[in-house]
Amino acid sequence: MVFPILNPRPQSRLGNIRSGPGDPRRNIDWTMLAPVVLLGVIGAFAIYSATFWKVDGDPYWFAVRQVTFLIVSAVALVVVMAFDYQLLRERAYFLYGCSVIGLVMVLSVGALKGGARLSFDFGPISFQPAEFAKPAVLVALAAYFSESREEDMSYSKFIGGLVLVGIPTALIIVQPDLGSAFVLIVGSLCILVMAGARLRYLVLISVLTVATVAAAVVAGIVDRYQLKRITAFVNQNSSDKDLERYVFQVRYAKRAVSTGGWFGKGYLKAPLTNGKFIPVQQSDFIFSAIAEQFGMIGGGVVLGLFGLLLFRIWRVGHLSKDLFGAYICAGIFGVILWHVFQNIGMTMGIMPVTGVPLPFVSYGGSSLLSFAIMIGLVESIHMRRMR
Amino acid sequence: MASDKRASRLAAIGVVAMLLFGAMGMRMWFLQVVDSPALEQKVQSNKTRTQKLLPERGRIFDRFGRIMADNEKMLTVTLAWEALRDQADRLELFGRLATILQTTVTDLETRYGGPLGSDGKPKGTKYSPLLPLPIKEDVGEDTAMYLLERSEDFPGIDVTTEWKRAYPFAPVAAHIVGYLGAITKNDSAQYLDQGYNLNERVGQFGVEKVYERYLRGTPGYVKFEVDSRGAILQILERVEPIPGNDLQLSVDLNYQQFAEQALETQLRLRRFVETCQAQDAKRKSVKPQFPDCQNLKAPAGSVVMMNYSTGEVIALASYPTFDNRWFNSGISGDKFSEIFPKTDDPDKSLLVNRAIQGQYNLGSSFKPFVAFAALDTGQLPGGSEYRYLDQGEYTLVSIDRETCQMIKCIYRNALCGGGNYACRYGKVNVEDALAVSSDTFFYKIGEEIFSERGGQPILQEEVRKFGFGSFTGIDLPFESAGRVPDKESKKKLVESGVLMEGESIKYLVGDNVQLSVGQGLLAATPLQLAQAYGTLANGGDVNRPLIALALLEPGTPNSTQVGVADLTQATVALNLGTKDTIRSLNIPPEVLDPIIRGLTRVITGPGVFYDSYHSTTGERLFASYPYEDLPLAGKTGTAQGAASLPWNDSSAFGAFSLDLNQPYVVTAYLEKSGYGSKAAAPVVKCMFMAAVGAATMAEVLPANPLDITATVAAPERSLPSNRCLGGAAYGGRD
Repeated sequence: MVFPILNPRPQSRLGNIRSGPGDPRRNIDWTMLAPVVLLGVIGAFAIYSATFWKVDGDPYWFAVRQVTFLIVSAVALVVVMAFDYQLLRERAYFLYGCSVIGLVMVLSVGALKGGARLSFDFGPISFQPAEFAKPAVLVALAAYFSESREEDMSYSKFIGGLVLVGIPTALIIVQPDLGSAFVLIVGSLCILVMAGARLRYLVLISVLTVATVAAAVVAGIVDRYQLKRITAFVNQNSSDKDLERYVFQVRYAKRAVSTGGWFGKGYLKAPLTNGKFIPVQQSDFIFSAIAEQFGMIGGGVVLGLFGLLLFRIWRVGHLSKDLFGAYICAGIFGVILWHVFQNIGMTMGIMPVTGVPLPFVSYGGSSLLSFAIMIGLVESIHMRRMR
Repeated sequence: MASDKRASRLAAIGVVAMLLFGAMGMRMWFLQVVDSPALEQKVQSNKTRTQKLLPERGRIFDRFGRIMADNEKMLTVTLAWEALRDQADRLELFGRLATILQTTVTDLETRYGGPLGSDGKPKGTKYSPLLPLPIKEDVGEDTAMYLLERSEDFPGIDVTTEWKRAYPFAPVAAHIVGYLGAITKNDSAQYLDQGYNLNERVGQFGVEKVYERYLRGTPGYVKFEVDSRGAILQILERVEPIPGNDLQLSVDLNYQQFAEQALETQLRLRRFVETCQAQDAKRKSVKPQFPDCQNLKAPAGSVVMMNYSTGEVIALASYPTFDNRWFNSGISGDKFSEIFPKTDDPDKSLLVNRAIQGQYNLGSSFKPFVAFAALDTGQLPGGSEYRYLDQGEYTLVSIDRETCQMIKCIYRNALCGGGNYACRYGKVNVEDALAVSSDTFFYKIGEEIFSERGGQPILQEEVRKFGFGSFTGIDLPFESAGRVPDKESKKKLVESGVLMEGESIKYLVGDNVQLSVGQGLLAATPLQLAQAYGTLANGGDVNRPLIALALLEPGTPNSTQVGVADLTQATVALNLGTKDTIRSLNIPPEVLDPIIRGLTRVITGPGVFYDSYHSTTGERLFASYPYEDLPLAGKTGTAQGAASLPWNDSSAFGAFSLDLNQPYVVTAYLEKSGYGSKAAAPVVKCMFMAAVGAATMAEVLPANPLDITATVAAPERSLPSNRCLGGAAYGGRD
């Protein structure tokens, strides 16, 4: 055992005779669930602080919806972890197919918002297929690679995996949602690495990604505002009128983080967060609200919770007896890691702005549900690792 | 886990994750701990916006409260932006307001959204989102009241007050009052330091410039809290502006107007006078390269009237003049440069106050101070009793014959007998010499006071006691100090190329001889001359000329008379009119009395008898002056201009009353206008005639509005009656 302290032996008292140490219900990783719950709670408070002025007469509009999403997601998490993840091995390609169909459909009938078709609109709630494609593609990829038990990946195997990832990724780029596409690529890269991809395969996939994005830009699929965000990132002090919106958004977010200082301005006492300075702060820039109000300490706690969560996912991947489970864990590890880095990075001006939410914290039902499913999967793997 | 290989791959992924977390942590550290304090400050200023509230500028009064500079209230109707967001409501409101304000809905829409672009959409307003939208400027008081009383019918309406500078008596005293102008690039740093906005107008000339910091007042401000788009969330703080102090001047506008009229009238009259150059024995012109005769140009001049007991300036005129309302008349730049052309011709410069900036040779009007130097230093054996035989010319004695071949050694008197020979006055003492203006008497002083005392600057030191060569310290800008020539100043002039090549770098006896009759390198302003004559008049006190009497607390009410403030209800904030004696010379009677007697004889006669009767220089002119009403003493001066041609002669005259109850000293200087007794002296005489009530001095009245179609800087003005300018034959009382 690599980490004996973190992995206490099951209790073996005489009184406990109803189930063996391998019983899934006795192997829930509470240490992984704790940061998830805490992040969800912190997120709900942060969302309230960033949105209480937005809806006339109803300061809790956003907060109440987020709490509802949290409860729904919690139910989904429990449901997913209750099922054996091995059941997915057989149905992985079916789910994958459903996701691809969803992605194709959203391109034609999705709600047009800011020049992009990202979601289906069902009245009060909307649904983003890209969010659900993330776990589906990861599971399919894990299933595909775990079929073979070779130490190193064959070239044909790699090409198959590439196609598997490439189709949904391309569809997401076309939406266009570069942020989600990158998330999927990073998750897939983690699985590829685990499955023994050679270095040149990884280089190839990187080149392909860059080429695809470049082609999409040239073809005009990636629209101007995504380009402007990147231009604004490269030149963060630009006074170009055209970039002003994007430059200011990041500048104010950075200021919010920075002026938080060590201890923050205090809850609901932050001038930038409560002064309507940062557009869409409740989703993309929620970290700035936390950092301004709770300072380095608050931001550090959030980072620490993500660190703990990621470590626990990593650990499950380590403990997993079968390759399928280990690959899923690696993929989910990559997805969450990239979400966190991309989101917090753009808030602090070290990454370009892409509409990537901060897991469990940002406002939004689809992403919350998707992350709940992913954590449910990892839990399921953990619970059934003793078989 | 199946194999060690996979374990190490998983570990690699973990390491990558740790690196990314490290990067985030580092970034957080830098932002929140290292950069935090600096940014904190920046954000604070970003969150609040301050709008300055400009104060009403202080007014400027003459000594009796006539309002020389005033502020016109300009009412502007504004609407709050919030009331205009809804298009239908806005158009309805604009429709109703357009009729009341006599404007168009199109104009109001343009103010709201800016002009329409090529796509038919408005291009954005030019007005600040921080301040209510101005929809009509300069509305009447009744319109403003009408709208304010019905503010519930016109949501968001308000009326703001702005100020526009007005000069009710312009162009009288334009050089004294000055004008306001934009802050120039050179001054911008200095004004920014003092809390000005660069779009403010500041005093650029006259007392508007000198007393800028008192007249301006203290701006107030409104501090708003704003969001990222600059929309106002709330008003945090409002501090009302404090109006500037009013300024009371010592000037009497009646005298000021009279002086300007007399000066301009006399200059225009002098332009009709033809003058001819001297001829030799064969009736040929001495300088054949120039025309024989020419009209006087009489382009410019100045008059100073001062109270010599206190130093208060009563009138200070400079011609050519201008109307200071041009500077805020809103005319185009082209029109402005037509009216105020840029010129290198000093005769035409308008924006120069010649009374304090003109640097002139004073001619014989400088002689009283040379006489003082001679008597004060004991240069004349026997003092006032000393007599010198004036034979019309003076030959330098301190230079040997040979040197005299090369430089000028013979100096002559002014011409007599129709310009045929130099005047000869016979045995004259210092009193006679002043009365008839004997040059040779003063040439001798000029040579001997220099050559007998080892070339020491004795004469210079003596005349400097009267203030020549240094700033008088009057509270007007751009004053000149003038120059009393000596070794150092001559060296400087030669080295800087002002003097002709070949001119010796040394200060020679000839320079001192020239100085003794107020010629050569002497430079003085008419105000310095008035200050110096005032010193003789009051017995030796050199007083700083004052033009401001007091700074008053704002809010002096207007009197019943139009254009006049009621000074009896004024509160003095700062007294500026205290007599300021720079130095007291305590001139002993044996020095002062012969000078005063000589100057009195200039006015009254008699002259001297030698060959024939030589009248004094002012005798004939002042024959028509009611001497018994206000006894005077004075002195003429004629400064030779370029090439010693008569039409280049400039004319100076200074006079003071001998009655301490009416302690006036008046000087006039008329450029290129001929003899002192002919051009400048009549102007001075007119001033004293007015003082004793013998000449009609019109009451100054508020001016008509500025005629912006005019093409000259100031309209032509003249005396109501120019009889006072005339001499014995026709120049009596009106």
